Amino acid sequence: MLDVKKVKQRIEELRKLPGIASKPLSEVLEENGFTRRDFLKWAGTMAVALGLPASFAPVIAEAAEVSDRLPVIWLHLAECTGCSESLLRTASPTIDTLIFNYINLEYHDTIMAAAGWQAEENYEEAVKKYKGRYILCVEGAAPTKDNGDFLTIGPEAETGLHKLKRAAKDAAAIIAVGACSSFGGIQAAYPNPTGAVGIYKVLDKMVVNVPGCPPSDRNIVGTIMYVILYGQLPAVDNFNRPKFAYGMRIHDLCERRGHFDAGEFVEEFGSQEAMNGFCLYKMGCKGPYTFNNCSRERFNQHTSWPVQAGHGCIGCSEPDFWDSMAPYEEPLANHKFESVSADATADKVGITILTIAGVAIAAHAAISAIKNPKE
Amino acid sequence: MKFLKVLGQYLGGIEFSAGYRWQHWIRAISIFALVATGFYIANPFIIHGTPSATPTRFLQADIREWHIIFGFALIGAVLYKTIYFFFFPEGKYERKSIVDAFNIKLALQQIGYYLLISKHPHTKGVYNPLQFWAYFTLYILFYGIIFTGLALYAEVYHQGLGGLLYPFAKWVESICGGLAYVRLWHHIFMWLIIIIVFVHIYMAVYNAVFGKNGGMDAIFSGMKWEKEEH
Ligand code: SF4
Repeated sequence: MLDVKKVKQRIEELRKLPGIASKPLSEVLEENGFTRRDFLKWAGTMAVALGLPASFAPVIAEAAEVSDRLPVIWLHLAECTGCSESLLRTASPTIDTLIFNYINLEYHDTIMAAAGWQAEENYEEAVKKYKGRYILCVEGAAPTKDNGDFLTIGPEAETGLHKLKRAAKDAAAIIAVGACSSFGGIQAAYPNPTGAVGIYKVLDKMVVNVPGCPPSDRNIVGTIMYVILYGQLPAVDNFNRPKFAYGMRIHDLCERRGHFDAGEFVEEFGSQEAMNGFCLYKMGCKGPYTFNNCSRERFNQHTSWPVQAGHGCIGCSEPDFWDSMAPYEEPLANHKFESVSADATADKVGITILTIAGVAIAAHAAISAIKNPKE
Repeated sequence: MKFLKVLGQYLGGIEFSAGYRWQHWIRAISIFALVATGFYIANPFIIHGTPSATPTRFLQADIREWHIIFGFALIGAVLYKTIYFFFFPEGKYERKSIVDAFNIKLALQQIGYYLLISKHPHTKGVYNPLQFWAYFTLYILFYGIIFTGLALYAEVYHQGLGGLLYPFAKWVESICGGLAYVRLWHHIFMWLIIIIVFVHIYMAVYNAVFGKNGGMDAIFSGMKWEKEEH
């Protein structure tokens, strides 16, 4: 895996392919106020984020420069486009977001100029032209109920499910971007009326999940960079998330962890404890159950992340998180079990059963005392 | 003593070996300690309001440590008892209960006894059918809580034993559908164990009160006494 030579060879091959960018990446970066030095620094941190030795930095810089060679087709299924938006609408673009703009996005609903029939044509052409070579990024869940009729796209009213399967067939690699395409997201939350599922459930090919609501630009671009570097998918965990980003829990590297171990907890937003920067576990932080690198990479140019801003993690990169992590501002001990009754926590159900058992036992003991059991 | 006199004849013998009694009490104490510390971990009810002057305060970490210590004690006791049941020579009286467990007539008679309408049935093994299935469920729950507990452990302590168990933890997480569900199941298993323990204590007291053969003493002294049948 750590074979620089192989990676270099691959980059050379990519370099030979026609790029789509009108000017080299270095110029784009310069126009946006990034120096060559910033770019190399970025390459260094990206190498570390991908779990590679720092010596890989120059190779990563080269890979970024040829990233406009590898065609990417980006599908939008049932979702809010927040993942793309979070990458595109930053007030101050990072190198990650600029590279996202720089990659060869052959088809992307949100940012392409074409519309209507023309867009449709572009799509068909891209799929045909780059058959077996393109990276397929999918944002959004696939509704499966009623043959997927809950989501239709384009003038032919093709279902999202069908379009996804068609695009996946000839893709070189498939990346699920965001919680929805990875695990279904909010569409799949109970009672899931449209039968929405993560795309891996309807495809018979390997899918790398990059969950999050949204995932950080670093994780999206990092995964794409990895595919460009190696021509293959990164090592993944048990839920097919790249290990370089989702190998550890939020809680493992959280800056408030010391307060957690010390038993120093916030019990109310805006309180003195909150000002002291105590742990947010009792405010519903789901960092202990959530695998992601937010506590290390943060968002918006490494500026901040939810826990730093004072709100607990809601576990958005975990499967099923709308259901499994609720309630979001209380500890998991207050988790409500929908099927029993609307406000049944495990503790309430347990105490109820225990009370019933206690009453039954008292009655049984009393009756036995009066009317002794048969010897 | 004045109130003592000869009262028929009793057969006596060792029902519970020393190892058996130790594992029972280690298990019992562990369960109580684990429930108490577990409720704290689920929702820390003792907290510090002011930051410590030195970074040497470890309230949650200490309680969590005790939870882990008793957790491993429980694992030891449960493993010992499992091996005892299947392989120890003394376990043969327990193993005999398996035959009784599938005897529906016996089970009905046992229910009748608790409903005060029929006599206590005679069983081949040491457990009556109701007891056997209650303990059977209890052990399923034990293994459930141990598996989820070890998975939660390995996610916090990545080195040593935790590192060794890491692939296993991932397996448990995949089955449960994420670490949050592992945590939820761990909590549910606790409640089910609490309920069985509660009923178990009542049954033990009940049998001590009405069995009048020092039955409850056996788990302390190991000795079982039974009236000789004529
Ligand atoms: S704030 Fe959340 S992630 Fe951070 S230490 Fe507390 S519980 Fe863990």
